[in-house]
Amino acid sequence: MKISSNTLRTFTTLHTWVGLVAGFALFVAFYAGAITIFHHDLQAWQSPHGIHATTQTLDDAQRLLDETLARHPDARKHVGMVYPGQEYPVTATYWQDATGQWRYATTEHPEGIDEMPGGALSELVNALHYSLGIPVAGTYLMGIVSLLYGLALISGVVIHLPKLVEDLFALRPGRNLKRMWQDAHNVIGVLSLPMHIMFAVTGAMLCLVMIAMLALNPLIYRNQLMTALGPAMDTAPVVAPAGRTEAIGSLAMWRDASIAIAREQGVDDFEPAYLKLANAGDANATVEITGESSGTLGPLGSVAMNANTGTKLATQLPGQRDANHATLSSAYALHFGEYGNAWVAWLYFLLGLGGAFLFYSGNLLWIEARRKRRQAEQGRAQLWMARATVGVCIGVCVAISVAFIATQLLQLPALSGIALGFGVNVACFVTWGLCGLWAALRPPIRAAHELLWAAAITTALIPFAHGIVTGAWWWTSAAAGHWALFAIDAGAIAMAVGFAWLARVTARRMRIGEANSVWALAPATVTARVQAPQP
Amino acid sequence: MWARAFAGIVPGFLLSAGLVGLVTWALPGPWQGTIVAGVIAFFVVWIAVMGASFQFANGKRAWTWLGSLAVVSLGALWLLQWLRWIQ
Repeated sequence: MKISSNTLRTFTTLHTWVGLVAGFALFVAFYAGAITIFHHDLQAWQSPHGIHATTQTLDDAQRLLDETLARHPDARKHVGMVYPGQEYPVTATYWQDATGQWRYATTEHPEGIDEMPGGALSELVNALHYSLGIPVAGTYLMGIVSLLYGLALISGVVIHLPKLVEDLFALRPGRNLKRMWQDAHNVIGVLSLPMHIMFAVTGAMLCLVMIAMLALNPLIYRNQLMTALGPAMDTAPVVAPAGRTEAIGSLAMWRDASIAIAREQGVDDFEPAYLKLANAGDANATVEITGESSGTLGPLGSVAMNANTGTKLATQLPGQRDANHATLSSAYALHFGEYGNAWVAWLYFLLGLGGAFLFYSGNLLWIEARRKRRQAEQGRAQLWMARATVGVCIGVCVAISVAFIATQLLQLPALSGIALGFGVNVACFVTWGLCGLWAALRPPIRAAHELLWAAAITTALIPFAHGIVTGAWWWTSAAAGHWALFAIDAGAIAMAVGFAWLARVTARRMRIGEANSVWALAPATVTARVQAPQP
Repeated sequence: MWARAFAGIVPGFLLSAGLVGLVTWALPGPWQGTIVAGVIAFFVVWIAVMGASFQFANGKRAWTWLGSLAVVSLGALWLLQWLRWIQ
């Protein structure tokens, strides 16, 4: 395909610029994103009960709901709750108090706590994914990163178009390192393009939807968007309390009623997952049950009923829901990989790691394209890019593995004084910072080698921390049929092997690679080695 | 390149809004049913417009074209909405 050289030049500049600005953030988003696919399983992995974690019963949940409503007046206005089951073995209620702060209660902590129970590790990895762990501004930053990513995809395709077909499956290892990295970068980029376009668009939407709506409200919706949102997006209608007291139905009654209502609408396998209860104790109390069905891209649907009698108020179920609910449900499911079965989850995991590689290789390409081939000394910008790439990218891998270990160690009785969420976050960000510092002080290739070994070792320690603290060694988990626990530990071992392999490859490059490069060892070291053998 | 970039970002934003508004309101049925699809489509269109803005020869042409198209599309949308010719 013929594209003018002017266009190619312009889009190459664009691609380079957005890649440099957004590349680091995207590496973190994709690496953490790959892991956060399994956020539910991370909660099970975190649990000190290991394989002995029992799924709570509906009776436990009913007691918790009754206790929550009795103790916490704010919860009577609006409270959420998860149905105990395979996905959420430990049930929890959650509501916002008068100050807007989210509160949680479990059977172990009916008095209410401020942190989501069992979620320290999964919350951290998730936060890294959508906000780099930066509170408030981080989400908007990642929204901008998603937009830049969209531009990187467009420009990447345009500059690749002339050679797209011929070069697609080319992977030419050899002396021309830039061509090999370019081939790898391109083949992953093109093959995962549809998914990456989806991630860029849904990512931008998820992060920036509030800003978009604020702007589009006056521009195209005649200032009626905000009032229209409630009726358009909620399933349960907002019904004012009647002022008369009436006892609410039970969790069991709601579950059975919602399944029956779903069946009436043609959905045969509605499995209640969580509920929202409004105005508990009032005659007009409403409950909205969200449940999962199979055979659809947007598996979550909801049934809204009067909480006292179980009469249907409204439904939004797969097959009979309006455009807004169908679209949003599908968009969510596509982004989070929450459709289909476990194969989809693992595919998304691989896509995440592949995507992370895309940004890492992009930085390497930038450095390689600007290499001064005839001298040992390289430009400062290239040197610092090498350091930053190693420190930020390999560093976050080390940091997340340390967070896993900390999650287990901080649950030991000896360390129970430290708040778990706080401790895990500190462990992660301090480690990340130290890795960055290490990369800033060492020659890039040495830092890469050492941090890759750090990643290998810390990741290999994850299953050991899990086994020592909870007793759930990966063979024990496998024997007990707890495949999620086994998969995380086994996955960690596999990743550790991968990091170790990368470390060895890096060591080889250090020994025999091109001398005129930021990745060569410092000239002083070379001279010292040459001078060593003296009579 | 910066001028073209900002042409895509600022008047490009308005143009994308105008285009999405025209399509979602001109479709049969009330506009409330197009909210989610419209917001998603807006991001797709805006990213595409930002990419396309680099095809202009320079910043001045980009701003002129994108600005004019934004005025035309939003103007048409507001006119049609005011006339109640679209829902």
